[in-house]
Amino acid sequence: MPLPSKVLPGFTASLFMQPGATPTALSNAALATVATVSALCITSNAVLVEAVPAFGQDDAVASFTVAGSRQSDKIPTQSAPTSMTITAAWNPSDTVIQQIRTDAYSGLTDRTFIVQATDGTGTVYYAFNARVSQFQIDAQPGAEAKAVFSIHPRSGQYGWSNSA
Amino acid sequence: MATQQNPVQYAKAIQYQLQSIVTPVPVYATFNRNFAIEPKFVTWMLRNVHQEVFTGQNQNNKSIDRPVFQISIFTQNIEDGFTISNQILQSLHGFSGLFGGATNGFWIAKADVQWLYNSYDNEDKLAQVFLDCTLDIPT
Repeated sequence: MPLPSKVLPGFTASLFMQPGATPTALSNAALATVATVSALCITSNAVLVEAVPAFGQDDAVASFTVAGSRQSDKIPTQSAPTSMTITAAWNPSDTVIQQIRTDAYSGLTDRTFIVQATDGTGTVYYAFNARVSQFQIDAQPGAEAKAVFSIHPRSGQYGWSNSA
Repeated sequence: MATQQNPVQYAKAIQYQLQSIVTPVPVYATFNRNFAIEPKFVTWMLRNVHQEVFTGQNQNNKSIDRPVFQISIFTQNIEDGFTISNQILQSLHGFSGLFGGATNGFWIAKADVQWLYNSYDNEDKLAQVFLDCTLDIPT
């Protein structure tokens, strides 16, 4: 099964994470290996988020201006993977959300997260290692209470893969 | 993880709750021929049963349900209709707790009643008052 060869609705994206209190985050090679990544994308590892926010890489350039030269220069640098602000419906008993809360409390837990998108045949995976912070509950009335948290990927620790 | 709520349960709970508020005035799920003989009665209609869906392949990734039911009050005497509407407002607006009785009821976070408008039907010779009630139901 190859990459999805269709334009995908945003609803196809799902977020998964490594289970366990003390996970061993995947190596760079493993993050780009479909067998390793897809094995983590099971129901019990699903983070039930309302929408998967923008994922990928940040913009990163170094700007230089030298006095007397005619034009400044922008030199692309190795950009970090994008931090993601996630909103999930808050079920206080959800074991995955509880683990994320624990991770945020620790602040030191490196864990592999995976964004999966599928057209029903092919699947593409974006896997990255990250820490969680800013775990908040937004309980404004008139809608579901939300668990809002940020995932900050570690620099350079991500990979793309697809079912093949 | 949110289970899909069952509108049958909503209907039973609404019928029970309205009946307990306005008793002995009869409550019907739909407008029926009783209007011809009853000097005052209440009907209700359920709409907008909807749990917002969220991303991914998990069917249970949904929000809470916020269904609305319209309450229609029919009375031969205009003031009776306003009085019944006040009974409903006083009892339901802002209510949080068990909705619909012990057998078919469920816990709601809030009931939000909006008094919409009153009217008069010249053919049926019935004054009318309409209210909307939104329920916030944890799922």
